[in-house]
Amino acid sequence: MFIMDDILLRQLGISIPGIDTLWTIEQIKNFAHKELYNPEKIKSKIKENRMLFEFGEITSEEYERTNAELMRKLKLAEQGEEMNLEVRTDILGAR
Amino acid sequence: MSAGEPGMGRYVYCIINSPGERKSFGNIGFGGEEVYTMEYRDFAPVMSSAPVKKYEVNEEEVELHKKIVGQVMKEHSVLPVAYGMVFKNKKLIQVTMSAGYKAIKKAMKVVDNRVELGVKVIQPKDESSLNGRVEQCRSDFLETLKRKAFDSKELKLFSDRLVLNASFLVDRDKIDEFSDEVEQLGNKYEELKTQYSGPWAPYNFVDIHILSRRRGGFR
Repeated sequence: MFIMDDILLRQLGISIPGIDTLWTIEQIKNFAHKELYNPEKIKSKIKENRMLFEFGEITSEEYERTNAELMRKLKLAEQGEEMNLEVRTDILGAR
Repeated sequence: MSAGEPGMGRYVYCIINSPGERKSFGNIGFGGEEVYTMEYRDFAPVMSSAPVKKYEVNEEEVELHKKIVGQVMKEHSVLPVAYGMVFKNKKLIQVTMSAGYKAIKKAMKVVDNRVELGVKVIQPKDESSLNGRVEQCRSDFLETLKRKAFDSKELKLFSDRLVLNASFLVDRDKIDEFSDEVEQLGNKYEELKTQYSGPWAPYNFVDIHILSRRRGGFR
């Protein structure tokens, strides 16, 4: 009900500063969470990095550096998945 | 270290048609161990002694696994086995081979005397040079190459730069024809970069799960 009201107010062009800030923070967190901790996306980046190296578009140093960074991120993301980070408390308390 | 010692098992790389007797491929396995065959009816799993453990995905070891399968492939049609399949003892390999015998037989018919060839096509960083013809290029490559292949599989486009990522199962005696076609397509679309790779074991055309869907083998 709370969310419905919020969306309704938004559609009417009315914003409540405190709620707006919380809402924005939540959206940023969701986005960052999906981008940073999505193992599939990181695996795609690892493959892309390898591909660009094979096509001669990046040097072996660039490849090694990016690969090491991505492998580190992947390990973190997989650990995150094991801990089930998807289950989080909604800071707006809608649930 | 041999397969009989504690903690040691047999790591299986691929399955081939039985060569009729135990065959050695030399000391090219993990840890410099001998890679050899074990007879099972008309097939032969290709293996080496290796520790029974969880095989983490590690670029060097995955490459070595692929290299060994590539070596076997020079002389035989192979059914590739997923990385990390290690068995505690000979008996467990026999049980697995028995459980999967029909599926193995069927899969071998498909891949016998055929190899997998990979084609990746990428567009330049500046996408505008294709003038929105990405779909047309992809379909031209795919349809032309499909005509020279026994089977094909479109793979994930894991990068925005990729126009095509596909694997083709090609008869060994048609590899040259297929290669010529790839070259001609590459010349036709000079603004694109083409990567042609292989021959590989038919990883994308064999998918047998025996007894367990979990990587790490049946122990």
